[in-house]
Amino acid sequence: MVRTATVTGKLKQIRIFPQRLLLPETAEKLLNEIDSVKGVVRMLISGKNLPRKISCGPGTGKDVNHPDRIIIHVSGCAFELHVIVGEVLVEVDDESVVEELRKACERALPFPFELKRGYFIKTKATLTDYGKYGFKSKYDETINLEDERILGMVDPHAKLETDLCLIKPEEMSLSRTAEEPIQ
Amino acid sequence: MAYKPQYYPGNTSVAKNRRKHMSGDVEKLRDISDEDLTAILGHRAPGADYPSTHPPLAEMGEPDCPVREVVEPTPGAAAGDRMRYVQFSDSMYNAPSVPYWRSYHAAINYKGVDPGTLSGRQVNEMRERDLEAFSKDVCSSEMTDWGLSGMRGCTVHGHSLRLQEDGTMFDMLDRRRLEGGVMVMDKDQVGVPIDRKVNLGKPMSESEAAKRTTFYRVDNVSFRSDKEVVEHVQKVWELRTKYGFVPKA
Repeated sequence: MVRTATVTGKLKQIRIFPQRLLLPETAEKLLNEIDSVKGVVRMLISGKNLPRKISCGPGTGKDVNHPDRIIIHVSGCAFELHVIVGEVLVEVDDESVVEELRKACERALPFPFELKRGYFIKTKATLTDYGKYGFKSKYDETINLEDERILGMVDPHAKLETDLCLIKPEEMSLSRTAEEPIQ
Repeated sequence: MAYKPQYYPGNTSVAKNRRKHMSGDVEKLRDISDEDLTAILGHRAPGADYPSTHPPLAEMGEPDCPVREVVEPTPGAAAGDRMRYVQFSDSMYNAPSVPYWRSYHAAINYKGVDPGTLSGRQVNEMRERDLEAFSKDVCSSEMTDWGLSGMRGCTVHGHSLRLQEDGTMFDMLDRRRLEGGVMVMDKDQVGVPIDRKVNLGKPMSESEAAKRTTFYRVDNVSFRSDKEVVEHVQKVWELRTKYGFVPKA
């Protein structure tokens, strides 16, 4: 049985790298456009942290209140941006989706962007993941996750509840589910 | 004939700007009031007295020293002010100043300053009232474009990042931002909110920034396009390398 999310199938990963760091409105538009493309399995957004509080210096502990740290809606799912979006990693079913993805980005982004194919999201459980999730049982030493696509979507030290967003949990299946994590 | 310092070689706009920064012959672009500047520096409340670390030099009774007689103390040192700092971060996307050139500017043109140069930020330490005078010059001149530069005492991140959509450098602590076409700052340099919104003026347009920058960039003025600079840098490196072997001849 195949237990890893992507390495064995024909799934492709695409890295969308805009020329500028995105405002929340543009990020929301881009993510919704990507989500509307058929064949998108999961998305990962990353960028520079927007901290809630100052973590160093004489102002330590004071609120930052960054205007870009707001709640955005993607496919009817609301979540708070913790980063200024700098890149979006998208996993798609097959090569034919890539062109649709490019068109979606062109619709959403008012400036140039790079689109690269490759493997950007972790596909196999590492020691840290085993430390976090453990084995399935005493006799089954596979990682204790129902859906291994969660691997690589959030930092091993982050909490899934706050950083991972399942957009269509009612349709969740191993073959077609869109997930929207925030790092 | 009076000696005229040459400062830096080259004929490109970047080389000329570097010479301008080093000579201190920079254009004033905006006005920032003393109170606003004191507020964003964050070392003392605007209007408050300068705290001191020692009595004024005139009252201290200095020892008999020929050097002290020759070197006139700066106003801050004479008054016994505290040592304070100001730190700047400049975007590599054509910000007007490079950390090295901020340091050259400070060391050549000001007394009693300790400039610290790092890859993406530059810090200056000096007596408090000297610091305010220095900061005012730097902040109101063409050396600082508030869209592409920032006064950042901590969390300086932004120098090597892509610009934000609005064309300004990312600021994790949101100290200054673009509002209604002008840059405003409502926190001091370490991110502590202040009681006012300081208007820092319009950010430079892309073409203006490209014209005033001291950054060599392939998409603007490339380093290799300035043969005189390349020759000078190669000469310095050659001499440094030879000196490393301590040639006897």
